[in-house]
Order: sequence, then structure tokens, then C-alpha cells
Amino acid sequence: MEQPVLQVRDLRFSYDGKGQALGGVSLDIRAGERIAVLGPNGAGKSTFFLCLNGVLTPGSGEILLDGKPVGKKERKRLCERVGIVFQNADDQIIASTVAAEVSFGPMNLRLPKEEVVRRVDHALDYMDLQAFRARPPHELSGGEKKRVTIADILAMESEVILFDEPAASLDPMGEERLEAVLGRLSDEGRTLVISTHDMDFAFRWATRAVVFAGGQVIADGAPDAVFRDAETLRRAHLKPPALLEVFDMLRARGLVPADAVCPRTAAGLEALLDSGRA
Amino acid sequence: MRHKHSHGVRSIDHLAYTSGMSGWNPAFKTVLAAGTLVLCLAANRPAVSLAVIAALAALQKIKGGMELRDYFGLLRVPLVFLLLGGLAVACDLSFAPAGEWCLSLHWFYICTDAGSIRFALALVLKSLGAVSALYLLALTTAACEFVGVLRRAHLPGLLTELMYLIYRFIFVLLDTHGRMREAAGARLGWRDFRTSCRSFGGTAAGLLVVSLRKSRAYYDAMAARGYDGALCFLEEDKPLRAAQVAGMLAFWAGLVLLRIVFA
Repeated sequence: MEQPVLQVRDLRFSYDGKGQALGGVSLDIRAGERIAVLGPNGAGKSTFFLCLNGVLTPGSGEILLDGKPVGKKERKRLCERVGIVFQNADDQIIASTVAAEVSFGPMNLRLPKEEVVRRVDHALDYMDLQAFRARPPHELSGGEKKRVTIADILAMESEVILFDEPAASLDPMGEERLEAVLGRLSDEGRTLVISTHDMDFAFRWATRAVVFAGGQVIADGAPDAVFRDAETLRRAHLKPPALLEVFDMLRARGLVPADAVCPRTAAGLEALLDSGRA
Repeated sequence: MRHKHSHGVRSIDHLAYTSGMSGWNPAFKTVLAAGTLVLCLAANRPAVSLAVIAALAALQKIKGGMELRDYFGLLRVPLVFLLLGGLAVACDLSFAPAGEWCLSLHWFYICTDAGSIRFALALVLKSLGAVSALYLLALTTAACEFVGVLRRAHLPGLLTELMYLIYRFIFVLLDTHGRMREAAGARLGWRDFRTSCRSFGGTAAGLLVVSLRKSRAYYDAMAARGYDGALCFLEEDKPLRAAQVAGMLAFWAGLVLLRIVFA
């Protein structure tokens, strides 16, 4: 079987030494996967991300990159390979111009100047930000800031990108744009892990759903299976995606074939209904 | 869309972005500002100070594209401080009448004479000249560029980074405080003096907690991008033009000449 890019074995973390933010998380992440991380607030999703990227040092457990354990001294290797786009763009943006902001990561990788320039230009092109390059990022709108924070990580050319609730505070237009970028990144072979509260998005986009509750992974599998598991949904206070609910209602009334698989998009459902009538 | 981020306080990053001089080489601007500052202080002549103030205002207007009204508006705050300081220099308090002019205030006298006033005026002008020299830098250079210049001048990294982060945090705090004020206002938090006092205490205490949380979030985000104690940004190449250097030297020569004329 293919070697996972990132493996986590029994990861435990506690902020104050008493309560456990992460209570033994094990997970394999394979190259090119599109993983949706679901779960209520305070379930440990953000803490898990910070551990994966090397910002937080886990209390116990280990993280393996390409099958090799990452020692406490080598955490820098993690942030070279794994990037995080933070939930709140204002917490991430520190420079006085958009170009300088995007250069912060590559500069920290100690790359030669020409390479930094190339990466910054590429990331700005990718996120359609060239027109803003000299602007102070703090004056941009919410959606534009989000694009800047994604460009920040693209410039680091991380293989695995973690997005912490990227759609929070975006308008529908911004969400649509975000999804297009995510699709493009995934098509290019990037491994994407996204924490989200948007079940419809997770169902439509992810190839795998991982559910966190109380600092532990309580479900891990195909979105279809995870969202049909009533016990998991109850424990993690999740709601099934609207499309899945509608599909189940239609199937119960015999309007779609009993052996059909739930389509991921509304257009897919329409096609299924049309094919049934034909 | 102009996002109302800084609640009335215009960040120097915004001024730098809008300034026509933002494309100038930041090291050149630093040398020009520092050199002019030194000349203005060393010459110690009102004529030189006035020339510096006028020339730099003209530069901001012509090259920077800044409205003179805005420019002098920004100079107003230091000017008030300087005038108050000048007043203290020019006037003396005494229990007996002294000097050329005397104002009796029943228990004591405020006295002054022409020499003191001239001295105070010269001092205010000199300081204002120095402030305009610093404004030349502050109004045209983004904060991270300036930090880059200081780093290349071998200023200790700890100092430049503290400077930069403090600057950044002023806006984070102002922004947070602005939002808390609005939120308190939405719940009638400023309806009368008593409530206002309580709301003020609440927002101040909240600000401490929030700023601690924010500093942690900032640190996490920086560490996530490989920050290891050195704040580095890519600086765009801004070539130095011969005409600019020539202009600077001519300006300085003019100041020296003025000093000789008004010896």
C-alpha cells in the first residue's frame, strides 16, 4: 500500500497539563487526499492542526513524515511540508504590503532571493492578487484577506495544506471562489485537509471525512458512510448534509433506484432523477 | 472598498501606499531624512529650519502627491507639543516683576523678554524642521521596509523586531478596542457618566485579555510559517536614481549656504 505522507500515532496534547485537548489521535494522511475534518467547536481540530504543523509540541505520541518519525528538534521539517491557513486572516497577516506578507514564509525557509521572488509572484498570480501587491493587507476586504492568507501558504509550496474553517466569514461569492481554488489545488496533487462546519460543502468536496469529538477521532471514512452513521452525528452534534437527507427521502418513496449512490451535487441528483424517468 | 480597519487612525502603511515617494529607495529616504535632521539641528538657525520645513512640505506635495492641508494636519499634533514646550522655555515664573514683559497673577508673575521669545521661537522652528525630516520617512515608507533598512544598518534584530511588532500591535489593539466600544455602545454602555466609567473599565480589562489571546494567535501563525526569531520580508528592488542623489546633495548644499549667509 502507498506510503502515507503524514502519519499520526496516539497524539496527546494538553494546554494546561490537566484537561486533554487531544486524547490519543491516530490518523494516516495520504498524498492527494481531500479530507474534511468535522466536529463541534472545542473538539480539538485546531489543536490537531497546530500539532501537525509543528507549532505545538504534542505531550506524547508521534508524527511521521514519509514514514520517518519527526523528532522534537526537527519540527521545522513539519512546517516546511505542512502549511496552515488560519481561520482568522487578521491573526495571520503581519506585513505592511501584500507582497511582503506573502514573502514571509519563503524568507523563513531561507530560500535565495530569486526563488522567493518567483514564489511570491506565482502565489500572487494564483490567487489573482497582483493588483494588490503594494497595498497594506489590513485594508483589504475579508475575502481578499483570505486570498492573501492562502497565497501566504502557496508561496511556501507545502505538500499538505491545512485550512482551519476557511469559509467562516466569507460571503457566498467568496465561498465559491474558495472552492474553485481548492479544486484547482487538489487537481494539482496537493493534499488538502479542511476543518469545516459546512456539512454540505464537506459532503460535496471531500473524499474522506474525519470526525473529532472531545479530542478524539470518533469516525473516519467515506463522507457517505460517516454522514449515515446516526451515532457519530449525535456524538459530534453534526447534521447530515441536505442533499443526503433529500436523497434518502426520495429513495424511501421509490423515486430513485434502491441501489443508487447518493450524488454529491444537486446537479448530480437532477441527472439521477432524469435517468430514472427515462 | 476601503475597509474601516483602523478606526480613524491612518496607518503609516496606508500613507506609504498612497505616497508617490513609496517607490523611492528606502535607504536613500533614510539617509535624506537623517542627514537633513542633522543639518537642521547643527545649523541652529531659524532660516535653515524654515527652509527645511518649506522644502520638505513642497517635496511631500510635489513628489509625494500629498495635500498640504493633510500634511500640516499631521504636523499639528507635534506642533501643539512644541508650542507648549516653547511657551515654557520663553516664560519664567517669579515672585518679583522681572524681564521686559510681566503678567501679574496676584501671587506670582509670568515674565518674559524679547531674547527669550526669539530663543523659544528658534527652538520650536528647529524642532519642527526635525519633525518634518522624520515625517519624510514616516509618511512615505512602509513599516517593514524601514525595519529592513535598520537591519541592514546593523541595528540589533531584537530592537527592530520589537519596534515592528509594537507598531503592528498598536493597530490590533486600536481595532479591538474600537469594536469593543461599538459593542458597549450598542448596549447603551455610554448613556451616562456612571455607566461610561463602568464600560470603560470593562473594555480596558477585556482589552488585556484579548490582547494576550491575540498575541498567542499571532505567534502561532508566525511559527506556522517557520518564524524562528528573525522577522524577514522580501523587499522589492527600488533602484536609487542619480537625479535623486544629486537633488539631495544640492538641497544640503543650499542649507549649508543658508547657514553661512545667516552666520
